[in-house]
Formats: sequence, C-alpha cells, structure tokens
Amino acid sequence: MAHLFPKSIQWRLQAWQGFLLVCVLTGFGFTAYHLQRLNHFRQIDDELDRRLAALNSEIVARPPFGPPHGSARPDLGPGPGPLHDGPGGPGGPRGGPGDPFDGRRPPDGPFENRTFQVSPATQRLFDPSDANGFYYLLWSRSGTLIAGSTNAPANVVPPAPRTDTLTHIRVRQSRREAYHFTEIGECILAGRSIRADLDILNRFAGFLVVAGGTVLTLGLGGGAWLIRHAFRPLNAIGTAAHRIAAGNLSERIPVGQTDDELARLAGVLNATFARLEAAFALQRQFVADASHEMRTPMTVLITEAQATLARTRTAEEYRETLKSCLDTAQQLRRLTESLLQLAQLDAGQESFQHQPCDLADIARACVERLRPLVAERGLRIECDLLPSPACGDAGRLGQVVTNLLSNAVVYNRDRGSIRVRCGPHADGVCLSVADTGIGIAPEHLPRIFDRFYRVDPSRSGAPGRTGLGLAITKAIVEAHGGTITVTSESGVGTEFIVRLPAATPGDQHA
Amino acid sequence: MRILLVEDEPRLQRSLARALREEGYAVDTADAGDDGLYKAETYDYDAILLDVMLPRLDGWQVLERLRRKKQTPVLMLTARDATRDRVRGLDTGADDYLVKPFDLTELLARLRALIRRAVGQASSRIEIRDLQIDTRARSVSRAGQSISLTAREYAILEYLALHRGEVVTRTALYEHLLDENDDTLSNLVDVHVFSIRKKLGADLITTRRGQGYCIEA
Repeated sequence: MAHLFPKSIQWRLQAWQGFLLVCVLTGFGFTAYHLQRLNHFRQIDDELDRRLAALNSEIVARPPFGPPHGSARPDLGPGPGPLHDGPGGPGGPRGGPGDPFDGRRPPDGPFENRTFQVSPATQRLFDPSDANGFYYLLWSRSGTLIAGSTNAPANVVPPAPRTDTLTHIRVRQSRREAYHFTEIGECILAGRSIRADLDILNRFAGFLVVAGGTVLTLGLGGGAWLIRHAFRPLNAIGTAAHRIAAGNLSERIPVGQTDDELARLAGVLNATFARLEAAFALQRQFVADASHEMRTPMTVLITEAQATLARTRTAEEYRETLKSCLDTAQQLRRLTESLLQLAQLDAGQESFQHQPCDLADIARACVERLRPLVAERGLRIECDLLPSPACGDAGRLGQVVTNLLSNAVVYNRDRGSIRVRCGPHADGVCLSVADTGIGIAPEHLPRIFDRFYRVDPSRSGAPGRTGLGLAITKAIVEAHGGTITVTSESGVGTEFIVRLPAATPGDQHA
Repeated sequence: MRILLVEDEPRLQRSLARALREEGYAVDTADAGDDGLYKAETYDYDAILLDVMLPRLDGWQVLERLRRKKQTPVLMLTARDATRDRVRGLDTGADDYLVKPFDLTELLARLRALIRRAVGQASSRIEIRDLQIDTRARSVSRAGQSISLTAREYAILEYLALHRGEVVTRTALYEHLLDENDDTLSNLVDVHVFSIRKKLGADLITTRRGQGYCIEA
C-alpha cells in the first residue's frame, strides 16, 4: 500500500481505513451469519429432539417381544401389517461387545417382523401434508425398515449402528436428521428437509453482504470527507509555507478560532516566520545601511577627483584634493575593516584565543594608549583597576575597552572626566567606563548597540566614527559569554558596564 | 544661476560646492535640514540639490514642507537606490533623483536640464535671432563666430535668455547670480550688461527704466 501512494498520507490513511473497515465488517458478518445459523439449527434440533423423544417413548413402551414368557405380540393383531417386509438387512450380525442383549439375545423373528403404529398424538407431530414437515423412520436392529411416516424421503440410508443410545444429528442431502438407537438396537430417526432453512440463511448472508457493502461505502465516503476535512488546515499550512519559502516572508498562515493541534502548529510556524522575517529585515537594513555608509565616501572621492581634474590646478590645490581623498579612503578602510570584523563575529567564533588574561592589565594598557587623546581634550581620567582574571582574547577585549574609552572621550564635555573601574563581580569580572558627557536620551538607549545607529545623524561624517563601534563591542563581549549594559542620563553622563564570566582553571571557552 | 546645496557630509559639500561654482553657479550651502528649508523658503533658487539623510529634518521632510510654498526644482541626492525610495522621492515632489556615488558630469547635466525645464526650455541650445547660446558648453556664437564672454557676463546673458520676453529686475539678477557670501557693489550688473552690449550689439538687451532688463522674445 505504501508504495502505491508513497506521497500522500491522506491516501495512506484512506487505504488503512478501508482495510480496517473491511476486516471489521467481514468479522462481524461472519459472526452474525454463524450465530444465526447455529440458532436456527438449534431450534430445528430441539424440534427433532422433541419428536424423537415422543417416538422413543412409544417404541420403548411397545417392545417387539413380550415379557420373556408372556404374549410376545400384543400389538400385532389387526393393522396394516408390516410396512416393509424385506429380508434381513445387510447389516449382518448386530450387536457388539457392549450389546445389552449379548449372550441372551432374543430370536430375530419378533424384531424383524413386527409392525409399529404411531399414536395419533405423535402422528400430529409429523404432518405429511407439510412439504417441509418432519418425518420419522424406524429400523430394526438389522436395518430393516419397520415403520415410517408417509412423507419420509425414499432414499434415507439407515445410520451406521452405534452402541450408545444417545441422540445424534446428521445432515444428508439438505436434510437434518436426529437419530438414536434403542436399547435393543432399533434405530429411530426423525428428520426434516432444511432446504428452505438454507435458503433463508443464504438470503441472510446476501443481506449481510449488501449491508456490509453499504456500510463500507458510507464508511469510506465519510472517512474520505473526514480526512479531507482534517487535512484542509494542513494543506493551507503547506500552501502558505510554500509561498513563504518562495520569498513572500510577510505572508502568514491563517489561524482558525479553535485551539487545536493544527492551530498551535500554525501559531508556532507563524512565530518562526515572523522571527525569520525580522531577521531578514534586519539583514536588509544592515546591507542598506552598509551600502549607504560606503556610498557617501565614494561619492566624495569621485566628486573630489572629477572636480579637481576638470581644469588645471595649483600644486596647493592638488595637495588639498589628495589629502581629502586620502582622508576619505581611510574612512572607507575603517568602515570596511569594521564590516569585515562584524561579518566574522556574525559567522561565529572567528579565530578567538581563549587564554587567561587580566582585564585590569588590558584596561591599563588602553588607558595609556589613549592618554594623549584624553589630554588633548583636557579631560581627567580616573582608574580604579583591581585584578580581574578573565578568559578570552586579550586583543579583542582591548578593542572593547578602547571603543568604550574613545566614546567617553568623544562624547564628553570640556574639562569633564572619565572613570574606568574593573574588579571581580558576582561570579565573574566587571569593567565599567563612565563619562561626564552629554549622555544619551532614554529613547535612544535601546538602540545604541544597533549597527549604524547614531544618536545624532549629523555626526555620520565625523572622522573615525563608523557607527559600528558599539555593535562590534557588543558582539565581542557576547562572543566571550559576557554582557554589556548601559545607563545614561542626558547632560550628566553615560556608564557602560561589561560583565564577563570568571576564568576557571582549564576552561578553554570562557 | 543660483543653487542651494543641502548636504551634511562636509567633504562632499565642499567639493560639490567648488565644482558647481567653477561651472558658474552661485552656490549657497546648508548642512542640516532645517537650515536648508529656511534658505529654500527665503531665496528664489534656480535649483536645489537636496541630500536625503540630513540631521534634524531629513530630505523628505524638507521637500514636503518646501512644496507647500514653492515649486523650486529639486534634485534629490541619496545613498539609497531602492525603487521604493525613488518612487517616494518623485511622488513627494522631487524633480529628479540621483543615487550616490554619482558621476559629477551627470550631476551637472541633470542640473542644467532641471533648470532649463523649469523655465520651459527643452534644448540645451538657445537661439535668439542669429545668436546661439550653448548652455552645455557655456559658449556664445553669432553666425558661427564664437564670442568670448566672462563667466559672469555669460551667466547674466543665460539668465536673461532663459527668461526672454520677461523683464528681469536687477534684484532678481543679483539674487540669481550671486551667492550668499558674495558682497559686490550694486552697479556691478550694469557694468556687465554694458560689456555684453559691447560684444553682442546694443539691441540685444533692452533696458526698462526703473524695472530691469529684458531680451525680447
């Protein structure tokens, strides 16, 4: 079945449902038929039993011989005479080891030649006018027919002799017959044609087949409807997912009112698609921003060069143009480097060294490197650096500190101060860079780590600012398993806090 | 021709302004949206070069507010080249659209076309009787003979030719030929017109006393 409909669960379900339905219906039909048949035949057998018992009581009441010394044939007087006066049956010597008359067996004569008349009461049980009526037959112990009803069929074969006196049932040529042997070996048989009963049973079987077929058809139809109904939302999900996969990321799977499994699945998928779309939008925005950031310096380069080349210039003018072009090219280089670094950080663990290092040493080195810049702006710098063992890439962590420090310098007020602190914190180490600068308005705070996000767009052209510094800082900190947070108050100052997990001995992935 | 350049990247602003001035335009500059909008509303520029990414007011907002008052031709400069952005720019009322990085020669050509179209002149060549003015080459010739004019003389001639049939006041000539930093004596226009007449004939530019100058259609 699986290879017939390998692609559609719907078809496989339908096939299995049909298969199960056929099994159940067949089992049910056979059981019903057999119960009916058993019941029917039991009734017939009961009837046969009753008649056999009636016959038996009469026959036993009038044995073929009298008491061992009395009149042997009290009943053999007037009467129609023996029905059949055939010679002794082919049965040969009767009686076996269990024969009750063994040893003192009476002579055959009275047994073979006796006649037997059924009483009218019993006679009524065997109505000869009924074609489907009961009949009886009585054989002597040698198999000679002694008596029988007029409607008995001519070709009834006497049963094979038995030593017991139990009632037996046999079926011969559409006739059901009950027989038993009397104690003296006579065989009484009551029978009935069951042709009509078999017809009834056959009709019943036909009815079962028709009813089963109908139920099967209805079941298959209902099943198909149910399956299709159940699969409709799945198909809808599939179609929508297909369209989304084809690129229409804003499409969503329609979710019904019910809170069933499929609605939940659609909900989960929709949430996934929403996140996917958001990620794509973010990526698109990043690419657009990046191209924007690159286009501006390129425009400067082209315009500057073309304008200068348009006519002959003095050496001073050429020098100015070249300097301007160089500055612009440097800006492009910084931007390209930042973009490359971000791309590498995005791609995962870019050649990070994970080695024990002291955040205090790193911070101290950065402060020393930036000290000329700090002095140039007339700023004060306070350091409070406690040993802070961490694990990571000292170069990258230095970049983090440098980025934060240069921000603190650039966005500080005149004669302001910068405070750099680090030390153990909770279950890790902590570095804080605080300035007394212009601060960041609350509405900008959530976005300052976004790529190319600038609190003041007019600073986009400021030399050395790529708009990627904090994004890179955050990416490096997170690649070290740490966090970076910011608190700021407009006009008062800003504090960035970097928390890194502590170095644990033997830990290569801090 | 007087141009307003609104661009916040200082190096780009500087080099663009220089290139435009060398092309004979009077150039005013602004490096923020609100500043640019103020100038655009105050003076009658022949064209405005407007960057989209600007501090305070962005290019779209400047354009939208300007269009409520004036129909000055605007050429948008942007680093975004998404079709959506271009459609938005043109729908908001921009007359043309240029994506960075652009070619300076293309920018200048589009600017010339923009100014010409604004006064209903489709061709870059203007013919007045037997006089031919090539606005692309910034040259003047009569019957195939090239006539040499100074940059300022040419600017006055071009402005009057583009507005021929109209009386152009001295104030208008000052406004369109001198930028905000120019501080020249007020009879300068008369001096230039006098020398144009000497080179091209006295009957080309007529003086409407008390009103201004005019080149008859």
